[in-house]
Amino acid sequence: MVRKGPGSAAGRAGAMPGGRALPGAVGALCRAMPPRARLVPEGLRRAKLDRPQATLDFWRLLYALLKQIHGGKWSEADAIDTQIRFVKLALWYQGYGRPELYRLPSDGSAGSRELLLAFSWLLHRISLLEQLLARNRVRTGDETSVCMCEDDLSQSEQGTTEIAPEYGPEDRVDVRYLQWLNGRLRFQWRSLHAQHQEQCKLLHKIHLLTSGSHVDQILGHFSVTEMDLIRQTENYKQLVQLLERETMQLEAFLEWKQLEPVYWQWMETVLDNMAEEGNMCKPQDAHIEKSSLPKVTSCCPWADSLTGQINKLSRDLMALRDQLHELVTHRKSAWEEKVKARAEDLQKEDFAATVRKIQEAVELKLLDLSNLCAPKKNKVHGLCRLVYRSKHSASKIGFSRSVSKQPAPAVSATEVIRELQMREASLQRELKQLREECRQRLDEIAEGLDGVICISP
Amino acid sequence: MLGTQPCEARTPQVPHTGTSPPAPRELRAVGGQGRAVAAGGGRRSGAAPEPLGGAPRAGAALPRISPASYRAWPGRTELGKPGRAGPCCLRAAGGESRPSPKELEELELLNRALEKALRVRKSISKTPLEAQVALAEKPTGEGSAFENASEQQVPVSGRDVPVSREARAVSKKPASMKKPSPYQLRAPYRTDPDVKKTQRRAPARCVSQGPRTAGKSSSKGAVSRQGKSHRPASSASDQGVCAATELQNAPGSSKSALKEQQSSIRDSSGEGNLVAAGRQLIDAGKKSCGSHGESSRKENPTAEGGSTSPRTVTIQQQGCQLKLPHPYRKAYSRNCRAWERSRLCQTSADAAAARKRFTERIQTTFCSPMPALSPVEIEEELKVLQDIPSLLSQYVEAEPADHPTLQREYESLLTLEGLQSTVSQCLRKLQLLQAAVESQKRLHPDCTGDVGSCCPACVPARGRACGGAGTLAVPLLWYSSFQELRDLFALKLQVSMLHQEIALQKLTMTELLPVLESEACPEASAAQLYRAIYTQLCEGGKRFPVLVRDELAD
Repeated sequence: MVRKGPGSAAGRAGAMPGGRALPGAVGALCRAMPPRARLVPEGLRRAKLDRPQATLDFWRLLYALLKQIHGGKWSEADAIDTQIRFVKLALWYQGYGRPELYRLPSDGSAGSRELLLAFSWLLHRISLLEQLLARNRVRTGDETSVCMCEDDLSQSEQGTTEIAPEYGPEDRVDVRYLQWLNGRLRFQWRSLHAQHQEQCKLLHKIHLLTSGSHVDQILGHFSVTEMDLIRQTENYKQLVQLLERETMQLEAFLEWKQLEPVYWQWMETVLDNMAEEGNMCKPQDAHIEKSSLPKVTSCCPWADSLTGQINKLSRDLMALRDQLHELVTHRKSAWEEKVKARAEDLQKEDFAATVRKIQEAVELKLLDLSNLCAPKKNKVHGLCRLVYRSKHSASKIGFSRSVSKQPAPAVSATEVIRELQMREASLQRELKQLREECRQRLDEIAEGLDGVICISP
Repeated sequence: MLGTQPCEARTPQVPHTGTSPPAPRELRAVGGQGRAVAAGGGRRSGAAPEPLGGAPRAGAALPRISPASYRAWPGRTELGKPGRAGPCCLRAAGGESRPSPKELEELELLNRALEKALRVRKSISKTPLEAQVALAEKPTGEGSAFENASEQQVPVSGRDVPVSREARAVSKKPASMKKPSPYQLRAPYRTDPDVKKTQRRAPARCVSQGPRTAGKSSSKGAVSRQGKSHRPASSASDQGVCAATELQNAPGSSKSALKEQQSSIRDSSGEGNLVAAGRQLIDAGKKSCGSHGESSRKENPTAEGGSTSPRTVTIQQQGCQLKLPHPYRKAYSRNCRAWERSRLCQTSADAAAARKRFTERIQTTFCSPMPALSPVEIEEELKVLQDIPSLLSQYVEAEPADHPTLQREYESLLTLEGLQSTVSQCLRKLQLLQAAVESQKRLHPDCTGDVGSCCPACVPARGRACGGAGTLAVPLLWYSSFQELRDLFALKLQVSMLHQEIALQKLTMTELLPVLESEACPEASAAQLYRAIYTQLCEGGKRFPVLVRDELAD
């Protein structure tokens, strides 16, 4: 039985309209959370009241949730101060700016109300609940990722040197060992490629041959999991249970969506409470606050890495800008001369109209480009379910289900392939540039080598 | 053909693989003329062998090929050659009317190959085929290796690749050919024309068997290795079972199988060594027939029990009639509907207003000069900008230097100017981002421990963007053809590989170039070191520069 928090029962200005709906909302919220998070309505209430044990529990809760969002590995046995540090960093990363939270002690002894506020802020800001649901989704299909975000090694600061064996100054690594390693690496890529192709073949076979058998018309065919399910039904009892549990979670989510205004109002009362208390304590905290401003000089690897990237991009763009500047001034002067020379002819031809048309055309052309410069809001990321739809069946299926409502997000392999090709092209260029640079440096070195001429292949 | 012997006329005629109708007749005719159903045709004279229809047919029952039969053929001085003269089939054998022992042995082998082929064909039942989809055209070396591994399991062993590659290159390996197990040719030796050829898929399997097992002296070993890694049973006959099932299930396909084998053998051998080809067949045949005892056990690598195996056989045929088990179906439908409702569910106006109020209020309590962009937003913006320079360069390079008309020139000029402004915009944005980074750095929560420990906590944020971004639906990725799927996977792999290559390139650059530049190595090996580093850094380890010693003649 969940009692209403005292905040809502107290005679605050204007009775809480949803006084009785709050338990429902909170209950729905808790049920919609992933099971591993272990959030209970009691926990939220205790957090508001700043009960001691509540703080530790809440830190742990936030840790678990944020780790799920960020995709890292975690366990409940992680030390509390590690957990706290992680949560603070993650909140900072998302842009949470309440200084009180960052000042909370790292033994988890106080501050559950702050945590409650942070939790609610996350709920809204990053759609915490939706993300958790999406991430923990029971996967029954053949999934593949369409973006290559995880491959962006430029952001990885992890030291790779610890993997390599340490060689002292006396040991010399034979360069042939490097060559051998390189060869092995290439071979592994090739075999991986072969395996992928094989996997494609088998996937396609299943998709093709089971077309039309699936319950879900839009999908149309089975996935590997479902295929296996047919053959060995006994192994998949758990899958059915997971699906059912997830369905209940989703229903709780829908309930929450209906009842949530009450929750937010409740959270405002928390803010009210804190504001009142804050007013009382403010003079004392003021000087504390000033002294605990983070030192500016501490180095932050994140900032360094980003700065590095920004600098590199700036260099490239500035080089481009100079190149363009030269090109444009040159062309412009040439063009102006030409125009002057033929000024009368052009007037007769109504050149002005032509000019306008050309301007419009160019604007259109460059519009694509500027779209590319802005982050695409609804770019498809992450895992997608592979579905085979032959051209001929696409027309057959029709749009029966999804024509009236919003269509489900879908992306076609053709688009993805195109993007990947662009990506590949730009990566190839980068690689080529790097190699050119190496070549130049090596040419310089070659001149230093006596008695040897190097003829490049 | 038989490269070992200088062009002596050999028994086997190669039936023309391209023509299927004559196939039954081919085999029928073969025996009498000692035709082997093995390719070697590549070596034959340019003219395709006349359809065996042209060759005298020995009638329905073909006696076992024996040297004696050759002598029985009128007017033949060369063995088994019914008057077709290829350049190989020569007169060098001249007046020899007796086959040499080697030839006899080869004849023997060919006979056995034929017997086995016949046996296999006879044992083919009419059950539907449990074969690969016709997408397995000519299997490539690697593909063939995997095909045989298992239907459902993706092979994990990288060894498969070299195995099959080796096999392809091999066929010339006569090596330690094991004596094939003795078989008696059964008469009537005839192919049954009524046995229909259903699909050509089984041959694909069979084919891949052939070249792979051919000629490898350790083929058995390889095969059993294969078997071990992919099947519960580790016997080499697993492969045979595989093949057996294929052949069993493909009525009449064995002749196409054999033809495929011929052509594949022709491909893979490059010299049409007939003996080797015969051995291939024998191996394949042996494997398929030798395990006839187990042929009742249908191929089913992952079957838990007999009850599922009959199902497996027909799954491909009845794929469209399969039904998911009822409890799953129910759970799935409910789940699917719940997801759909959740996806379409929108925040009510009240809720939106309430959220807004709360968020605004709490934001007033944030640190006062709050940076405009949160770290996550900074990273996102930066990610978008990563590709811009190369994209813009492409646009710039696309503008030609000379223009035919004034209009074109103007257009080009405007485009360049537009690009210029884009570049400036991006530069400004970068400046903003830099400022944001600085201000966020100031807010960065201090780590009490050493700085390195807070770094890993930042990094997992990398995985965040790919989490589905809060959308409550798994997007669907449509593909419309097998080729598209393959291209997709191949491209993804390629992009990953390029990422890695670039990272490695940067790393090796910083590590290796200083070594050369510092000249810390002895003179003798400097050149070699240089060469190696050059290869690694400039050619990706694929091609080598040539180093020429610059010695001036005195």
